[in-house]
Amino acid sequence: MNEPRNDEQFAERAKTLFDNSVDKLDAAALSRLNKSRHAALEQLKQSPPRSPSIVWIPATGIATAALVALIVLRGPADVGMPFEAPVASDFEILLEADSLEMLEELEFYSWLELAELEVDNNVG
Amino acid sequence: MNAAASAFAVSWIREPMTGAVTLQRERQLNRFFAEVERRALRIAEISVRDRDEALDLVQEAMIKLAHKYAGKPADEWTPLFYRILQNGVRDWHRRQKVRNRVMVWFDKSTKDDEYYDVTAHAQDPAGRSPDEELQTAEAMQRLEVAIGELPARQREAFMLRTFEGLDVAGTATAMGCSQGSVKTHYSRAVHTLREQLGDHWQ
Repeated sequence: MNEPRNDEQFAERAKTLFDNSVDKLDAAALSRLNKSRHAALEQLKQSPPRSPSIVWIPATGIATAALVALIVLRGPADVGMPFEAPVASDFEILLEADSLEMLEELEFYSWLELAELEVDNNVG
Repeated sequence: MNAAASAFAVSWIREPMTGAVTLQRERQLNRFFAEVERRALRIAEISVRDRDEALDLVQEAMIKLAHKYAGKPADEWTPLFYRILQNGVRDWHRRQKVRNRVMVWFDKSTKDDEYYDVTAHAQDPAGRSPDEELQTAEAMQRLEVAIGELPARQREAFMLRTFEGLDVAGTATAMGCSQGSVKTHYSRAVHTLREQLGDHWQ
């Protein structure tokens, strides 16, 4: 029954001794700690590490999925032409850095294509 | 769609801190380090039995915390900091094992390096300290040696709970284990230490 109390007393004694040893740290150690602290705080002033590839993976993934959906949904019905399923190489090309701008403007290009089709139909 | 993708991409990026926020964070972090650093040093020193190595480990932990976790809420810093520090201590012990194996291979005994001379590490009383202070220093030395002989996980649990004052949940976060494991390690550590140091130590 006395064990937990004794354990507490033991821990209290250990803590007191430990705190005493912390208070007795010499000036050299405190100086090193001070320098370490400032070195660590310097990290805050530097810009956080960024990985462009990681940053763009989610956005690119969503854009690609949308592109696939757009192609599949719009494919043969509107255009009236033989529909070719996109192949893997298409997506590789689209995922290249140069294509990212195009992906960002996807809605615009989609609208442009529709507008051109409407003009062609009207003319025809 | 485009807007959604952009928003997702932006949320993925760690938001850059403005000047005012950075300054505030810097002050908070400075206070945190100042509060925790000396205890952290002693805990690391007891773990690796070398002050210079311990100082390096503490600095490494500070830099990693500032670099990776400064954006976390301040109340999460303590367990995160000790988790980084404990990982550093474990890596240090692994490197030491490899180093010792290599030294043995080249027939250069490291027994002298491994031997921990309590007297040599004791604070020099030089006849100036009162008896009570000497007894306290000796008691701490005995405690340090006993803690150093504990299995690593018991040592971590005991020091984080007793010396740093982390609760069970915080200790579990720092050690990367369950709260049940923390309780078990801590209980065994106290039992072993009490048995080893004897009642008269208290």
